[in-house]
Amino acid sequence: MSDIQSALRETAKKLLTEGTVTCVIGWGETRFPDKTTPIFVKTPEDAEKLVWNAHCVCGLAKYMLDNRCPEGKLAICVRGCDSRAVNRIVEDKQYKREDLYLIGLPCEGKDAPICATCTHRNPVVYDVLLGGPVPEIEVSQEDRFQAVTALEGLTPAEQYDYWQKQFSKCIHCYACRNACPACNCTECYADQYRVGWQGKQIDKAENQVYGLTRAFHVGDRCIECGECERVCPMGLPIMSQTRKILKDINDLWGNYECGLTDSRPHILGEFDLSDRDDFM
Amino acid sequence: MQLKRENLIPALRLLAAQGEILVPTAVDEKVSKFAPWDGSSAPDLALVNTTLPPKDTLFPHQEGMYRYKTAGEPSLEEIVEAPARILFGVRPCDARSIDCMDKVFLGDKYEDAFYARRRANVTVIAHTCAQTGPTCFCDSMGLSPAEAPSADLLLSDTETGWLVTAQTEKGEAVAALWKDLTAEGGEAAPAPACTLKTNMSDALAGTLVSRFEDPIWDEVCHACLGCGTCTYLCPTCYCFDINHEDHGGEGTQFRCWDSCMFSDYTRMAGGHNPRPSKKERLRNRYLHKLAYFKERYGQILCVGCGRCVGHCPSHLDITAFIDKAAERFGEGK
Amino acid sequence: MSVKADPNWEPKILAFCCNWCTYTGADLAGLNRMKYPANVRVVRLPCSSRVNPQFILRAFQKGCDGVMVCGCHPGDCHYATGNYFTRRRFMLMKRLLEYNGIDPQRFQARWISGSEAAKFRDTVTRVAGEIKALGPNTRFQEKWYEEGGEAQ
Repeated sequence: MSDIQSALRETAKKLLTEGTVTCVIGWGETRFPDKTTPIFVKTPEDAEKLVWNAHCVCGLAKYMLDNRCPEGKLAICVRGCDSRAVNRIVEDKQYKREDLYLIGLPCEGKDAPICATCTHRNPVVYDVLLGGPVPEIEVSQEDRFQAVTALEGLTPAEQYDYWQKQFSKCIHCYACRNACPACNCTECYADQYRVGWQGKQIDKAENQVYGLTRAFHVGDRCIECGECERVCPMGLPIMSQTRKILKDINDLWGNYECGLTDSRPHILGEFDLSDRDDFM
Repeated sequence: MQLKRENLIPALRLLAAQGEILVPTAVDEKVSKFAPWDGSSAPDLALVNTTLPPKDTLFPHQEGMYRYKTAGEPSLEEIVEAPARILFGVRPCDARSIDCMDKVFLGDKYEDAFYARRRANVTVIAHTCAQTGPTCFCDSMGLSPAEAPSADLLLSDTETGWLVTAQTEKGEAVAALWKDLTAEGGEAAPAPACTLKTNMSDALAGTLVSRFEDPIWDEVCHACLGCGTCTYLCPTCYCFDINHEDHGGEGTQFRCWDSCMFSDYTRMAGGHNPRPSKKERLRNRYLHKLAYFKERYGQILCVGCGRCVGHCPSHLDITAFIDKAAERFGEGK
Repeated sequence: MSVKADPNWEPKILAFCCNWCTYTGADLAGLNRMKYPANVRVVRLPCSSRVNPQFILRAFQKGCDGVMVCGCHPGDCHYATGNYFTRRRFMLMKRLLEYNGIDPQRFQARWISGSEAAKFRDTVTRVAGEIKALGPNTRFQEKWYEEGGEAQ
């Protein structure tokens, strides 16, 4: 792993020295040995601050949106999930692929629970790959949707109780939205205060409506990076909502994983004349 | 006077007659908060800091202010709610945070009636820290893990229980209530040192304000996601918004927490936003904690509880920022 | 305020109807003097694909006991393909609502053409009956006001 770290530093240094990119987004140390923080390297000297270890858990792709009108190319370190997040954002036409330089880092799983069901440990898109590809792990559909299947088996009253209990913890910090690469609207519906879609009151119903709206908004574009659950300070099982949508998409319209390319229209943005119809 | 460990539950039972007791409670594996005592089990005093601070007791996440009717005979009715409550097992940092909120809501010039009513009926029983968490830094902020001067009553750990020190009239009333359960003796354990240290000083607070346009703000804000986690978990963040829930002809005016990290916090009616990006927002948050509040009320608004450090999704760290600024501006202790 | 105790309680049902088919069908039902329950409030939209899933949530929040989305039969859309998007969208939304504890009867979607006045009548009659049997909806409802107190 340290070989890759030095290769990463070398690459970043070279890119910045040659002027290929103006900034490299990667991970850097914090005061805690078990935590890293996203860093934004702008000079060749600072490339030494980049690290690559088991604690590089923060998703990086979302940060490119802070820079929607770039002056130069931006380099981003991408693990499998980050690369899909980049595809997500490029596909949603929020950033141009040619304005990005992707440093691919095959990832053997980080210090995050979501990594156990990761199906793309190798970046799906990159400009340079550091180190050889790592073997992918077999994740069955049962494992992927385990939490969803368990909840589907409950009665409506039990399901409602479960979600009420979970959503009663929500504090409206919007960390899930801000960390999510699919949540890339310039202005979120929840911030449009004059329209009144999202009430400021913290009641369980309002929280659940927020959770559902966000889930549905990102559901068919979710890349399963697990950032929403990782960042939630209240530990809400947010992925159990988005994965429910993905599971239904799989059941209804065939196997679906998004963010693998940057050009496939998302599932609700296309249709097939022969789609199943429940509404006749 | 010392309260033996085995006398804790009887002591709480006595206290329960005075009001609802809120104790540190683990809601699930990830979340803990001050919740009503179940009446039988010993509170988990080993929880170093609850995920959610106790500020919710005095300054609820959302609080009804008025009920109104506009249909028929218009009416307006103030919502008065001030249940008698006892906050039990508050850490010194959180006890200080209540002191900070008092300065704002019970100020000399203006007193907030909603807060004042609740505050009058709340008794704060603080508990010293036997151990500190990985993100605790209260002793760098001028506090001590072994003292809580603004609490009504302080429980200091001893080998067999707690030393009971009444610090206000409310605290003396509690001590009197417990007099049959307490005895002489016991020696307070030495205060543990905080794990995290930072180089905060009065001079730095002044320098930060004068370096309003310094590139340091640009550097530090990059990793911020702009969520409200730090402000909502912070025991001293007291900003609120007033809003209403309308049900056609009747409704409720309420106030709820707001966060300076959100874009709509400073957005004006015409759409202009004087703090357009996370740089301005983060700068405001840090300066408010470290400098502005001190200018106005004479003490720092950060109590060093470490919640924002521990829960930030991007692992931003205010102590690292303070040290970076102190080093750059040469204003260390 | 409790609606549960009220023996005369009638469900409120919101029906989002497309202008070109279902709304015309409902109109035809009226012209033909067909009788259907007055529980249904119709919202006319240019196309069933205009229905944002948030409209459904909002309706439940504001006190509707049931919500319907009705549009042209697939292939008949005035805008050629709108209802194909509707179909995918609400196949998912319906499942997500049920997963969150909304009874399946409370959200229904149907294709009803401009000539199917009888189908409109039969559908709303059936839906009203089903929701009446279920009783008032309390899920997702803005209730903080009624509870009048502190959150949670």
